[in-house]
Amino acid sequence: MKNPFFEFKDFRPKKREIPLDKIIASKEKVMDALIKAYDRLVEQEAKELVWLVSYHSVIRAYANAEKSIKDMQYGVEDIEEFLFEIENPSRLPYPIMGLCGLYISALCNHIKEKEIILDLQNKNINLHLLGYRLPKGKKLIVYGDLGDFTGIGLNGGELLVEGNAGNWTGAGMRMGKIVVKKNVGRRTGEDMVGGEIYVEGKILGVGNVRYGRIYEKGGIVSP
Amino acid sequence: MRKSLKNIYDFISDHLYFYRPDLEINGEKYNSTLLFSLLTTVVQGKQLIVGEPGLGKTTSAEYICSVFYQIPLGTIWLSEVAGHPEQTEEKIVGRPNLGLLNKGIESVVWSNFVQLPVKIVDEINRLPETKQSIILDGVDRGNWQYLNEMFTNDEYCLFATANYQDLGTFTIIPPMLDRFDVMVESKHPGANISYLIASFYKKDELLRHEKYERELNKLLNDSKLSYEIKIERIEKVYAKFSKHLEKMGLQPISKQKRKAIQNEIEDMELDLDANAFLRTLISELSFCYKYGQKRANEKCEEGCHFTGYLCHSIKNCISNRFPISVKLYAKALAWFLGNKKVNVEHIKTVAPYALSHRLQWKEEFIAIYEKETRVDPLPIYLAKVAVDKVLERYGEQRESIKEALAVAYDISQGKQIAPLEGDHPIYWEIKRDLGEL
Repeated sequence: MKNPFFEFKDFRPKKREIPLDKIIASKEKVMDALIKAYDRLVEQEAKELVWLVSYHSVIRAYANAEKSIKDMQYGVEDIEEFLFEIENPSRLPYPIMGLCGLYISALCNHIKEKEIILDLQNKNINLHLLGYRLPKGKKLIVYGDLGDFTGIGLNGGELLVEGNAGNWTGAGMRMGKIVVKKNVGRRTGEDMVGGEIYVEGKILGVGNVRYGRIYEKGGIVSP
Repeated sequence: MRKSLKNIYDFISDHLYFYRPDLEINGEKYNSTLLFSLLTTVVQGKQLIVGEPGLGKTTSAEYICSVFYQIPLGTIWLSEVAGHPEQTEEKIVGRPNLGLLNKGIESVVWSNFVQLPVKIVDEINRLPETKQSIILDGVDRGNWQYLNEMFTNDEYCLFATANYQDLGTFTIIPPMLDRFDVMVESKHPGANISYLIASFYKKDELLRHEKYERELNKLLNDSKLSYEIKIERIEKVYAKFSKHLEKMGLQPISKQKRKAIQNEIEDMELDLDANAFLRTLISELSFCYKYGQKRANEKCEEGCHFTGYLCHSIKNCISNRFPISVKLYAKALAWFLGNKKVNVEHIKTVAPYALSHRLQWKEEFIAIYEKETRVDPLPIYLAKVAVDKVLERYGEQRESIKEALAVAYDISQGKQIAPLEGDHPIYWEIKRDLGEL
C-alpha cells in the first residue's frame, strides 16, 4: 500500500507566528528606534549628563531631536509607550526630563495625528518643556502634571493640561492656546508675543508679557 | 476545450435553463444545478437532483446531456426511465429477444437506457425500495446484467431526480443514496424569471431533430447489429446532430475531446491545503475515540471529549465514496475554472453537495439549524454549515495539521520522533495509522 502520508514528505512548517507576536515585534522595533534616537540626543546634548536650559540650548537640542527622529515611523501609542520607558532604567538609563520633554515635543509635532493624548498620571516623571513649538492644527492633551517651561514657544497649537504646570509656562509662545486645569508656577507667559493662556487654578506669578492674554479662573490677569 | 465547456454552460443558461445563481466561486456566480450537472457529464458521475415538481430537475439534465453528448432531445426522452411502482427490470435494463427465444436462442434486447451514455431516472423515489436495487449495480459500475449477458458502458453519466416526500414516494435506500456523487436542488427561479420562462415554453425545439431522432431510434432498436457496428453508426448520427448544434453557436465536444478532458481532470493535483483539509473533514465524519469508528447502530458515549466535532452531530459513518466524489468533482471544478491545482476553495464548494445526501444528522443538530434563514434545502444547508465549521477549525491549525502529516511520514520512514499531539480527530487518526493507539 502507498504510504498515506507520502504527499507531505517535503512539507516543512512555516515558523508559527500569531498576529499578536507580529504586532509586538513591530512595536518593539519602533520602540528600539525611539530609544536609540533619544540616546543619540543625550549623547549630543548632555555629554556629562548635565543639561541646562538656555535659549540656545533649547533651540539646538530641539533641532537635534528633529534630526534624530527624521523618517521614523511611529504612532501616538508609541509615544505613550516611550513615556513608560522613561521610568525603566534598564531601557532608558539617562532620563533627563528637559531633553525628554523636548524629544517628546518633537515627536508630537511631527506625528500625522492631529490630536495626541498623553497620560502621565501615576507616573513618577516630571517632564519639562513639553509642548515646545506645538504647531497650528495640533491638539496635545496631557493627563497629569507637567514641569517647567510647559508650552514654551507654542506655535499655534492647543495644549490642554489636565493637572498642574510649573514655572515659565507659555514663555515665549507666539500663538495658540494653553489651558491648565489646575495651578501654574511663576513667570507664566514670560516674553509671550501672542496667544492665550487659561489657568483654571491659581497662577503663582505672571511674567513680562509682550502680547497675548492670560486668564486665571476665568478672569483676565494680563494685560 | 475549457472554452467549449463554458460555451455549453452559457448556451444553456442563455437559451434553455433560466435560473438564479446560488453559488459564488472565485468571484463568479453560478447556478449549482447547472454547474454540477455539467461537471457530472464531464466526469461521468452520478447526480441526484431534488426539488419541487416542475422546477426543471429533469429538463436541466436533459439539456446538458443533449448538448454534451450531441444526442437529440427526443432520443434522450426515449431512453429515460420513469420511477413508478410497476417498473420492471425488463423495461429498465433489457428483455429477452422473443424472436430468437422462439428458436431456442437466448439473447437480450438491451433498453435504450442501458445503451445510451446518458442515463436519466425520473422520480427515482417513486421506485419502491426493492426495485431500486435493479439499477444499483449499473449505476455504480456501468455494468448491466440480464439473463447471462452483460452490457458495459465505456462512457456514461447518471442523473436521477426526486420530488420531496409525498403520498406516492418511497425512501431512497442508503446504499443507493451513497452511490450518488452529488445532490443538488433545482430551485424556483423567482417570480420574474419564472414569468420569462412562460414566454419561452417552446425552447425544447432547439435541441430536437426528428430525422436524427428517427435514425437513432432505429439503430438502437436494431438487435441484429453487433454492438460495435451499432455504436459506430450511432456516433455518425451524433456527428450530424453536432453540425446542427454548431449552427446555433455551440462548440460540441467530440468523444476524443471528452476523453482528453477526462484525462486532464484526472491529472489535476490537490495542493497540500486541499489535501489536508479533506483529510480533516473525513476524520470528523468517521472518527470515534471509543469505538474505533462511527457506526450507525452505536451511540456516542456520555461525556465524550469530542463533542465539539462533527462526529458528535452525525449518526452514521461517511463512506469511502465520499472522498472519491469530492476529489473527482473538485478536480473537475478546478479544471473548469482554469486553476492549476485543486485548492481548499474547490473542496469547500464541492463537499457540501457530496455530503448532504450521505449524512444522517442527529436531531439535536437539526434542531439548532432548521429554523435558520436559508436558500438551500435543509440537508444541503446543514452540509454547508458543517463544512464551514470544519474549515474554520482547519484554518486555525492548518500548519500544525500539515506538520503532523509530515511528521507521520518521517515516522513511517523509521525516524525516531513522536507524532504531533493535538485535540482534533485528525491527530488521533494519524496516531492510529502509526500504531500509536
